[in-house]
Amino acid sequence: MYIIVIGGGIVGYPLCRALLSEGHEVLVIEKDAKRCDYLEDNLGSVCIRGDGCEAATLEEAGTARADIFVATTTRDEDNLMACQVAKYKFKVAQTIALVNDPVNEELFRKLGVDYTVSVVTHLLEPIKEEIPTGSLTHLLSLRDEGMEVVEVRIPQDSKAVKKPVRELALPPDCILALVIRKEQKPQVPTLDTVLEAGDRVIALTRGEDEAALRDVFIGS
Amino acid sequence: MNVIIVGCGRVGAQLAALLDAEGHKVTVLDIDTSSFERLPSSFGGTSLLGDGTNQKVLKKAGIEGADAFVAVTQEDNCNVMAAQVAKHIFSVRKVVCRIYDPLRKDVYDALGLEAISPTTVFAQLLKEKLEPEAESAS
Amino acid sequence: MELKKILVAVNGNGADEEAIKLACSVARKSKAAVYVVYIIQVKRSLPLDAEISSEIQRAEEVLTHAEDIASEQDYDVETDLLQAREVGPAIVDEAMERDIDLIVLGMPYKRAFGMFSLGTTVPYVLREAPCRVLLCREPIS
Repeated sequence: MYIIVIGGGIVGYPLCRALLSEGHEVLVIEKDAKRCDYLEDNLGSVCIRGDGCEAATLEEAGTARADIFVATTTRDEDNLMACQVAKYKFKVAQTIALVNDPVNEELFRKLGVDYTVSVVTHLLEPIKEEIPTGSLTHLLSLRDEGMEVVEVRIPQDSKAVKKPVRELALPPDCILALVIRKEQKPQVPTLDTVLEAGDRVIALTRGEDEAALRDVFIGS
Repeated sequence: MNVIIVGCGRVGAQLAALLDAEGHKVTVLDIDTSSFERLPSSFGGTSLLGDGTNQKVLKKAGIEGADAFVAVTQEDNCNVMAAQVAKHIFSVRKVVCRIYDPLRKDVYDALGLEAISPTTVFAQLLKEKLEPEAESAS
Repeated sequence: MELKKILVAVNGNGADEEAIKLACSVARKSKAAVYVVYIIQVKRSLPLDAEISSEIQRAEEVLTHAEDIASEQDYDVETDLLQAREVGPAIVDEAMERDIDLIVLGMPYKRAFGMFSLGTTVPYVLREAPCRVLLCREPIS
């Protein structure tokens, strides 16, 4: 596959290195001349110097034949613009943007970016997980299907404690995949499985039912 | 008319002053307070510190009741992003932005943006200024 | 200085002939093998293995001409055609792969924007090549 990466910084550089080692054809577009030298020294001739939002640079990079386009700069407006130029001018099938400020994630997707990755959102997940009364933790988002895989830890005061699964008012299309209890093997719950405080439940749910699911397990 | 102007540079400040003098309700946004010094002392509108691509800031600036939105910061990509937020998230009727790089015009068209390139406008203007001279010389 | 393998990079400019002659005369003393390579620089808009017939035809002409110059010198050379994104790294990689002892480069006398210019390939090879490099600049005409 031909993959173009905008920005050879702290995200772009290791990304390129990983993609190259997997045998992909990779080109990184980097604004800073010194950084370009560094990239060439470490990765070989896979770098051109230029502005990844500029049509002329993207033309030179052969963006029209790229399979995937990834924008990894530290500026959201640049990542958005680069992806939009790639998508609308060069018809790249898959555009991916690094979203620095998580509030921009939804906006980017609305404005045509195919896939967004927010480092801050990912950082928040394990932090939230540490909070005992925490909300749902997103493990995986099946965006096209509108489904989410989430994890929830059942607090002491939850109304789900000591209840079998069949008595829970689960939203439709919600599947409990796994119950993880301390010092026990994770088990696939049946309708008779009785939940306890401190259990971690992995569930598959529709995105819009998250609040209902949260209430089932965390509501007291 | 309610107008939001993002970027209080020379163009943004002058536009704000003109619209304000005509009696429009103007709100100017900039990420640097010293930029607001460009506004005349007679300016009766609102000046607000904040990032014009940020939806919260735009709400605070009253974008939900705005009739027009202008993005004229120094950064092309900020202007494009702010304009798209105004158009596609808040559905502002009239959205105009300034873009220095005219090469991406087809992209802006695809995004449904009304973009003015000072580069193109100014080059055209200079050419027109020179034309009578060129004709008389030939 | 024991030289067993010499690499000459040609690109069809006027400096090729002198570079090949020089390589042959250096090679003769130690009966070194001489490889003449032409590198087709492939634009990023095309895949690296794209067959660009006009480029290939030109490359073959340049290499045939190189063989002719060598046989005038009564020396046998091996020719090769490579495709790369950038010429400098391609020359250095080829030299490492073939375990070359000496790279010979010919360069025309160029002025860019009124200033003498080494271009990008020559400085790259001088900086990065693991072996000796002999640079043969055309006389100022």
